[in-house]
Amino acid sequence: MFFQDVSRIVGALSTWWWLILCLMFLLYIALDGADLGAGIFALFSPDEEERGAIMASMAGFWDGNETWLVVAGGILFGAFPSVYGSAFNYLLIPLAFALWGIISRAIAFEFHVHAIGSKRFWGWMFAFGSVLAPFGAGVALGGALQGFPMAHHIAAEGVAGAHANAFDAVPHYAGGPFTFLSPFSIWTGFGAVIAASLAGGLYLCARFVPGDVIHERAKKWTNAFSMIALAAIVITLVWSYAIFPWAAAKWTGANWWVWLIWILVILGFAYMSMTAHAASRDFVALLWGEGVVALMWFAMWATMFPYIVPHTWGIQEASNPADSLAVFTLFMTGFVPIMILYNWYQIWVFRGRYTKKAMYAGH
Amino acid sequence: MVLENTLPVLLSRMDFAWITSMHILWTPMTIGMSWLLFILEVAWLRTGDERWYKLNRFFEKILIINFGAGVATGVTMEMAFGILYGPFSQAVGPFFGNILGFETITAFMYEAGFIGLMVFGWGKISKGMHLFATFNVGLSSSLSAMWILVANSWMQTPNGIVLKDGLFQVTNWWHAIFNDNFVWGFPHMWVATVELALFVFASVSAWFILKNRNADLFTKLLKPTLLALLIVTPVQIWLGDSVGRDVAMTQPTSLAAMEGHYHTYLPDGKVNTGWHLIAFPNAQNDGNVFAITIPNVLSLLETHTLNGKVTGMDQFPAKDRPDVWVPFYSFRVMVAIGFFLFFVALWGNWLRLRGKLNAESLRKNPWFLRAVVFSGFLPYLAIWCGWWTREIGRQPWVVFNLMRTYQGVSHMSLGQEVFWFVGYIIFELTVWSGAWYFFSRVIAKGVDNIPHSDTLFTHHNEEGSHEEEKAGGGFAKPTFASKPMLDKSR
Repeated sequence: MFFQDVSRIVGALSTWWWLILCLMFLLYIALDGADLGAGIFALFSPDEEERGAIMASMAGFWDGNETWLVVAGGILFGAFPSVYGSAFNYLLIPLAFALWGIISRAIAFEFHVHAIGSKRFWGWMFAFGSVLAPFGAGVALGGALQGFPMAHHIAAEGVAGAHANAFDAVPHYAGGPFTFLSPFSIWTGFGAVIAASLAGGLYLCARFVPGDVIHERAKKWTNAFSMIALAAIVITLVWSYAIFPWAAAKWTGANWWVWLIWILVILGFAYMSMTAHAASRDFVALLWGEGVVALMWFAMWATMFPYIVPHTWGIQEASNPADSLAVFTLFMTGFVPIMILYNWYQIWVFRGRYTKKAMYAGH
Repeated sequence: MVLENTLPVLLSRMDFAWITSMHILWTPMTIGMSWLLFILEVAWLRTGDERWYKLNRFFEKILIINFGAGVATGVTMEMAFGILYGPFSQAVGPFFGNILGFETITAFMYEAGFIGLMVFGWGKISKGMHLFATFNVGLSSSLSAMWILVANSWMQTPNGIVLKDGLFQVTNWWHAIFNDNFVWGFPHMWVATVELALFVFASVSAWFILKNRNADLFTKLLKPTLLALLIVTPVQIWLGDSVGRDVAMTQPTSLAAMEGHYHTYLPDGKVNTGWHLIAFPNAQNDGNVFAITIPNVLSLLETHTLNGKVTGMDQFPAKDRPDVWVPFYSFRVMVAIGFFLFFVALWGNWLRLRGKLNAESLRKNPWFLRAVVFSGFLPYLAIWCGWWTREIGRQPWVVFNLMRTYQGVSHMSLGQEVFWFVGYIIFELTVWSGAWYFFSRVIAKGVDNIPHSDTLFTHHNEEGSHEEEKAGGGFAKPTFASKPMLDKSR
């Protein structure tokens, strides 16, 4: 009886952290996605003044936005260390690329403004980093959806005599360096870049004064990427349906109508975003667009339930023991709304539109 | 055979050692200096003295470059446990994973949520709110240091857990968090951050006085900085000694490696009390080929008695002994720097007592200023050496006495390890060279172009050269809210 109760507690708490994890990843892709997309836009900027203005527009909050990824990583480690320790091992190569993109971007933010001779270099570091980060993260996501092999009795490759030990009770990652690599995972990398590009366009439209050169170009950019993104969504859904039996089973299973309604709602949000954009209600268009991201993200997590990594790690089997989960829940849950609150305040302080001439200066 | 020294394990250690060593270059300054900026801001608000404001804004420019480098290298750290040490991350998840989770939620994000307000919020938020933001940056970065030290100290002294089902499950949270090593290890690290930040203040000030630029302004800063160092530097030596004695009790192999102490007893059966100034350990790692030894000092240091017994390497099987070279020498370098910095603090305050701590007299005797400029670099080296001592001294264990390093290494090919290493050498060196280059740029630019604090809340363009170029539409009306925007360029 006692063990059943404990097991039920673990089930409830781990599902709770699975939901918070979903929310943290969502905040990351929704907020930093827009920043990254603006960086992708900067890849095509004609001069450093424009790149500087784009960086200036997010100077006050890019770090907060990016840190949602770190929080998601921390929650993964704190609540689901088994996933953290195996999935990241599996995704070494795509994560390394994403992290290098993040590094390039983070330092470019601080160096670009001070640079004179090397301004161009840091401008490119910012733009390339902004492409590399979502691409690497997208490949990692696609790789995670594919699942990965695990085994007990795994030790560092090439270490002779590394024999069975006390830690083999937990399954470790057992694949090779390129197990993640497939046409699908490469595609999700591009998909992430496309999604970020659209979010970045919507963000720049809302961020710059109508009539400003950046605003004008971001408008055209957004129009183009709306279409590309819709196509990308269709491709991703069809492809996923074809290769993931667990997804197909849910989408055309007994509750097929829920998924159908969900898709219609997503299309409705996309339509609202596009009409708001056409009517130059830029901030509203951004919000509807973020709504599309949120709905798609929730749909993906619902499709994966009850797994964190499909057919590799279930929510409950991947979670920490009851005691650790309980402590994590008690002490950390309350901070989630607080984090959202002060991040919201910080973004609110730096609201308002910019112009290209408003260089990132004098901090 | 010693698994720990096979190439895959060594490389995985190098992979992690490199990214941590390149991360600890940045965090101490953020942690220490955010409190110093808070003090400067309080001084400005209380006295209305514009000079404190100028100094604050000047050092803030250095801090934000440093912060960017810290974030750039820090995001990697939060992921690297799982990437490079997957089986370790899984096994330590119930405690260590929780603590890292605490860190991201209560510190990493907390800091990110206020650093933007602190750096870009001038003139956009009220003075009180700004001070609050600065305070939060200070508190959050110190909290971050605390959690990271909880996690790392627990790897040195894994208290409060039991190994069950392949996981380190917590039996006593209090003991696990306030583990033996943490009690002294955290204060030692935290004071190091303050000492480093104070020496950066002092070093930059000394440079300006030496160049006779804003010399009076920087003398005004140098005085309280040196006074604070007079307290901080000896406290740090005392804390370091306490950590050392704690290590002697809880991690005797690490202490023996730090001291190159192989033989617990001398051939005649007496306790070996000798402290080596210099030692060359032999290839078998069971004795020194050559050593300059001072009797009694080791016992004095570790037991505070003349003839106390200090456990040597010979009490442990060869496979449990760490490498001696790095801990031995990096420990000595750290200690030497600690004493040298104390000496610099004494020197400066002695000059002050004799009424010579003013710009004019200081320039007449530039050796003090040169020593202080030089001292700005030493805390970095000392912190590196301290961590190398700590981490290499713990080997061959990743969790002391419970999990060997090779057991925690991710399932990686040699190619992956090299890929990671080469990539991070390129990126981390870019961060390092860029950040130090732009530090020098900011310092060379000086304080003269910092506008008066009166301009903070006025609604005109402060960017000078862009004044005529408002072509893009001038100042924006907020579209998201009805409240009028304050000056956007600050």
